[in-house]
Amino acid sequence: MTEHVRTEVLVIGGGGAGFRAAIAARHSGARVLLLSKGPLGRCGATPMAGADFTLDGRSMHELGRDGDLNDSREKVFNDIVTQGYYLNNQKLAEHYVHTAPLLLRDLLDWGLKIMLSDQRAVITSGLHIMDVLLRKARSVGVEMREDIMALDLITNGGAIAGVLALDVRSGEFIRIAASAVVITTGGWHKAYWPNTGMRDLSGDGIAMAHRAGALIGNMEFVTFACNIMLDPPMWRGSLAPYVLSLVCGGSLTNNCGEEILAPYDPVVVKTGTTTEWNKSFVSHATAREVRLGKGFRNGGVHYSRGDVSWEVIKLVASITFPGWKYKAMDLTEWGRMLEANEPVEVGPAVEYFDGGIVVNERFETAIPGLFAAGECCLGPFGANRIFSAITEILVQGRDAGEHAAHYALTEGGAQPPIAGFEALEKKALLPLARNNEVRPAFLRRELQLRAQRHLGPIRNKNELEEFIIYLRGMKQNHLPHLGTASSGRVYNKEWIDCLELGDLVHLLEASARCALARTESRGVHFREDFPVCDNDRWLVESIVEYAEGDPKVCTRPVTATTMSPPGGKMPYLDMMKKMMQSHSDTGGMH
Amino acid sequence: MSKHSVQVKVFRYDPARDADPYYLEYAIPFEPRMSAMNALDFIYHNIDSTLSYYDHAGCSLGICGRCVGRVNGKTVLLCQTAITGDTVIEPVSTGRTLKDLVMRKGRRDDAEPTKDTD
Repeated sequence: MTEHVRTEVLVIGGGGAGFRAAIAARHSGARVLLLSKGPLGRCGATPMAGADFTLDGRSMHELGRDGDLNDSREKVFNDIVTQGYYLNNQKLAEHYVHTAPLLLRDLLDWGLKIMLSDQRAVITSGLHIMDVLLRKARSVGVEMREDIMALDLITNGGAIAGVLALDVRSGEFIRIAASAVVITTGGWHKAYWPNTGMRDLSGDGIAMAHRAGALIGNMEFVTFACNIMLDPPMWRGSLAPYVLSLVCGGSLTNNCGEEILAPYDPVVVKTGTTTEWNKSFVSHATAREVRLGKGFRNGGVHYSRGDVSWEVIKLVASITFPGWKYKAMDLTEWGRMLEANEPVEVGPAVEYFDGGIVVNERFETAIPGLFAAGECCLGPFGANRIFSAITEILVQGRDAGEHAAHYALTEGGAQPPIAGFEALEKKALLPLARNNEVRPAFLRRELQLRAQRHLGPIRNKNELEEFIIYLRGMKQNHLPHLGTASSGRVYNKEWIDCLELGDLVHLLEASARCALARTESRGVHFREDFPVCDNDRWLVESIVEYAEGDPKVCTRPVTATTMSPPGGKMPYLDMMKKMMQSHSDTGGMH
Repeated sequence: MSKHSVQVKVFRYDPARDADPYYLEYAIPFEPRMSAMNALDFIYHNIDSTLSYYDHAGCSLGICGRCVGRVNGKTVLLCQTAITGDTVIEPVSTGRTLKDLVMRKGRRDDAEPTKDTD
């Protein structure tokens, strides 16, 4: 029983960006349907976030919080651009800086409670932000559906016309006619293992936009969070040691018992462990140890409290993990280990994607009527993100929703051709008839482990080429034969895995090709065969054309407004130090 | 490292095909502090990919609260419940099965979202 649905604005994605876009589109007078792949308000990356919302200190002060009056939007802009090694889209960075205070005001008006704040950030929780957005979306009449996976976009005359979606529970298709579509599907964490994200984050939105004719870019910039718990299995992927090490410090050692950060410049180590520069710096340092054969069983290093007193650890933990609990996770045993100064194995795990769908400052893609916002976009952060992604997804979500509503109410209305739906449905059903010739879960785990190894924080030509050959082989030999053991459509998770796997392979290939093309090191992209940051040649964005599924990489100049990019070449870690030292003289962790 | 194995007994029922629910037992390698969810993942990946449990979304880290089930008769979050030996995994309500461990929608008690207590 295929269902037929019509809406003015369709939002694909149930995280913070999607909800903020849906609310804005409703406010602009459009009828809105939001598709959430998982449970309403409990999927995507947002619920997992800590979560900080960053803005300038002066605006913090104007909101009645403790903010530095000497801070300014210009200073935050300077910091975002230097933290991004000047690879930022400065128009999107300006938009972020100028819109952030307005968005925080909205959230406070809608009932957001602040737990803590510093001079440039308010700290709340991702779950709480989702609850506030969910309540608001309900109150303004956003229609919402959960456990619905969008499969593909349908265009007519080059403009967006609809979407084919799948009800994961019933296994039935939903044909949706939409005047405008906003993609807010977040990252593609599921391409790696372990990761820090939800099981739903498989990059569906980026892949379907690319297939439909939108451009994607900067796919080589994949941010790994450091000090992620790798063992025991029940805690794998937890950010708890990331949080504790960021606040308290501690000791990171390899399998020879050496302190892994000892060889590095003390200035880089200080900023690279006490601020969110830790993601790129410590992940780089950890990956280096593991590649030298100095890692442990799960591909990580050991974290213990080292010289930090148990009293300090206990105090910080009482705020970050009260009662050694983080939501439903019981960390009591880790508390005991910390007290006894016993190590846990930690390592880099994929956390955030700096690249994605190419949008302009109206969040339009190359396809009329198709908009995108949040982590699925090539956003404001360039080669490295320190400022908050929560702010990014909300400022972009709002504007994308407004522009989409305007488009839907004035220009949109192309009809989706029936034949388009039929062809997509036929293709989507194929794995159910193939009787498990090739099993998706098995392939996915192999893919994830290879991605971690060859497309982690450290890359080189040989490994990237080998990985691309592997991905091409998978596309040619395995993906066409993917099948399910059961042919039933009702909650057939293997079918979902079949449908997702092609997207993961495609995005990994796009990313690996960008990483291979970029023969320099910058931000979260380090090439051990090209360890120099080359500002003369590589201050360009990587842009990927779909090219019939055979992604082709080209470049375009960075979008600069007021800050002129530097020239010259500099070794990777020297450039990192220079970018760290370009920070404004203001208070606040960011 | 020799791993010992444990027996995990899982509730199975596809209302479209099966007259009655039944249980299947799987031997899986045991790792200290593995969760019931880790056990299901192992079964799905390595032994029986026809098994359905709520996995297409969810966090595995005790945050989203979607993986409610019964482990040895007790209602818990599957992802944050350690298994220590032979184990029985069932849905919260066996009378409302959509497929295997996934329940039909209706009353919200199949997916009590985690309350944000901060």
